[in-house]
Amino acid sequence: MNSYWALLKILIINYFGISLFQIKNQKNRRPYLKKLGLFLIIIAAIAPTIALYAKLLIQGFDLLAPLGQEGAILTLGIVLVSSIVFVFGIFYVINFFYFAADAQSLLALPLSGYQVLGARFSVVLINEYLSALPFLLPPLLIYGIKSGASALYWLYAAVGFLLVPLLPLSLATIPTVLIMRFANLSRRKDLLKILGGLLVIALAVGYQLLFQKSGPNAMDPAFLQDLLTDRSGLMNLMSRVFPSTRYLGLALINADQLGGLVNLLQFAGLSLLAVALAWLTGEKLYFKGLVGSSETTAKRKMLSEADYRRLGKGLPPVLSYWAKEMRLLFRTPTYFINSVMTNLLVPILLTIPFFIQGRNQTTAMPWEKLLSAASGQTILMAAIIGIIVFMTGSNAITATSISREGREFFISKYIPLSYRKQILAKLLSAYLLGVSGAVLLVIAVRVLMPLDNSLIAMLLGVSMVAITPVIEAGLIIDLYNPKLNWENEQQAFKQNFNVVFSMLLAILLGGAIIYIVIRFIHTPVSAALFMLLGFGLAASLLYYFLMTWGVKRCQELAG
Amino acid sequence: MIEICKVSKSYNKGKVKAVDEVSLTVHDGEIFGFLGPNGAGKTTLIKMITGILNADQGSIKINGRDIRGNPLEAKMQFGFVPDDPNIFSRLTGIEYLNFMADIYRVSSITRVQRIKELLERFEMSLAAADLIQSYSHGMKQKIIVIGALLHNPPVWILDEPMTGLDPRSSFDLKEMMREHADAGKTVFFSTHVLEVAEKLCDRLAIINKGRVIFCGSLQEIRAHAQANQSLENLFLELTENE
Ligand SMILES: Nc1ncnc2c1ncn2[C@@H]1O[C@H](COP(=O)(O)OP(=O)(O)OP(=O)(O)O)[C@@H](O)[C@H]1O
Ligand SMILES: [Mg+2]
Repeated sequence: MNSYWALLKILIINYFGISLFQIKNQKNRRPYLKKLGLFLIIIAAIAPTIALYAKLLIQGFDLLAPLGQEGAILTLGIVLVSSIVFVFGIFYVINFFYFAADAQSLLALPLSGYQVLGARFSVVLINEYLSALPFLLPPLLIYGIKSGASALYWLYAAVGFLLVPLLPLSLATIPTVLIMRFANLSRRKDLLKILGGLLVIALAVGYQLLFQKSGPNAMDPAFLQDLLTDRSGLMNLMSRVFPSTRYLGLALINADQLGGLVNLLQFAGLSLLAVALAWLTGEKLYFKGLVGSSETTAKRKMLSEADYRRLGKGLPPVLSYWAKEMRLLFRTPTYFINSVMTNLLVPILLTIPFFIQGRNQTTAMPWEKLLSAASGQTILMAAIIGIIVFMTGSNAITATSISREGREFFISKYIPLSYRKQILAKLLSAYLLGVSGAVLLVIAVRVLMPLDNSLIAMLLGVSMVAITPVIEAGLIIDLYNPKLNWENEQQAFKQNFNVVFSMLLAILLGGAIIYIVIRFIHTPVSAALFMLLGFGLAASLLYYFLMTWGVKRCQELAG
Repeated sequence: MIEICKVSKSYNKGKVKAVDEVSLTVHDGEIFGFLGPNGAGKTTLIKMITGILNADQGSIKINGRDIRGNPLEAKMQFGFVPDDPNIFSRLTGIEYLNFMADIYRVSSITRVQRIKELLERFEMSLAAADLIQSYSHGMKQKIIVIGALLHNPPVWILDEPMTGLDPRSSFDLKEMMREHADAGKTVFFSTHVLEVAEKLCDRLAIINKGRVIFCGSLQEIRAHAQANQSLENLFLELTENE
């Protein structure tokens, strides 16, 4: 256990970049202030969302209290956090367990699988607590205060908070470790790692599908009656995604009874069992998934005449540079999972819950009424464009496009391809991926909702323009301060503030334009025109800036 | 031809003067060696010649094209072999070569012929279809050398080209440098190994702490040395006294 703690300490210092020694050192304080500043900006950016969430919870409490169902807001929070922990967990685990810079180097130390996996698991857990805080704290507080809960409730709530992420994170860890073990069997390691990552995500989605499908139909009258008469009916319905969350919900609303304690112990037992299982899997399989994961195949095969002939065709320099960018994006597991996948995954994840509900013929979907009015269509349009803008900002393809080159940046400087064209090639890669994500999302929305062709056309048209300023802004951010000094591709992405900045910028830009649309514009056509104009103007300005300042910046940056 | 005129460069806001008022002219048809101990400023100068770094002062022209004033044309003039061959590890050898051929606008017919010829010459035909990641250090070096020669550049610039090459490949490379110069082109390379410079160069410059302390042909440098002092001693002495 000693080595576990030692390792944990080192990993935490590495991961969060904190070391007391450095904080005490006057000279080194600046980066910490910078980090603190960034943290505050992020809090400011998400504060409105949290406020809205809290408001909804309070309203929900008041609405449900007469029915004796107010406990549902607790379950809502717990289920929401479990899902978030689970989805984030998959990305954290893939990235931090397998792609991290030090993943390989730890192999040489005399540590066993569960120690290393356990230490990494704990670091991810700390991260997950931070992500869980804004979603879990409000319902716990609101329920506790509004129901005048006893001291025991607060105790259970604190214990519960610590327990909640354990199970979903374990559920994210186990399949990942299993799949990565087998992904490592083959010699096409990079490809398999990517496929392995995809498979884990597919399983995650499948799991959710399974649990939501197996429940009763929400529109069944008998079920509805049950739901409203049983004190924990609504709670049971919501906890179907993560069945064990029910126990915590019950423990909290029955905190003053013995039953509550039993429920809490049940929840704790299940959570700890899941962790034990995850660590056991790690002990057996983690190292096997890591060993030699940087080996590659070498076929050493002679090129055929046909190979040479194909080669002869060639591409114009800009396109060739673009093709190189795309190859690296798709072939580097870290980049693929974090940008390409994120971009294509968001539309899928967003629409799945609605698919599961099924397009029941007899019950109207909530949005059908909305869509029949012009103002409803306008809001829908603004929302979809907002999601597309956010997706493009968070895939960070341009916001890391200089950083990703790292030490190889000098190549861009000596090849006879103008910086203008290099910038264009980088924009093109991001643009194509952005457009694919947008088209995917629009298709998904179309499948769910009966939209007119004209609305679809407008959505597609606007999104093609809307993503342009976002990717341009990303490139400007990265050009301003690229992270070129890294040893492992992971660092170019995961420890790069430019990614965060690009996301925040997308939120601001998308948010501002959408706010204006929802507030002042009432027909889809004028909304489309306004957005085309707004995003188009921003795109032109940023383009001009890139072609002047950006080109100059490329010249200045030392390779 | 490379014309370097009073070029200076310092790092860390002037604290480290890596290159100090260097002026050199490298003519067509010659192999020019740039010799100096570790940290002398060789790589820094080469980075400025190739446009990777901006000089603080001075001008650099490659075949008459200024690297700052007319960068694209200047960059077209040379092929460059950097000191660190760890690049584009996720491309295959042939993808890398094709990329370079595209960037330097090598026509389809020439490209196929040259890639084939150079791959065979460096015994890399078998590895060309594999990821560069799977290459040994020397193999990486070779694929980069091939990439730099695809457009048959009038000026060839190499930073520490022999490190990591086996005797056979090293010999081949030297032979190619010779051929290149004999065809009337310019070869400029850096090294910290005296024997390499001694055997290969038509002219050489010795640099230490950013300053050129000697520039001339081998005969001139020998004449410069006292009667029976070996070149090695001279080199040691020159670089120590500074
Ligand atoms: N990026 C940098 N930042 C600060 N100082 C640098 C940087 N690169 C080089 N230097 C300094 O500039 C001087 C010259 O370095 P340079 O790399 O040009 O030497 P070199 O002659 O190529 O050496 P070697 O034979 O080891 O390759 C050294 O003192 C080095 O410490
Ligand atoms: Mg050097």
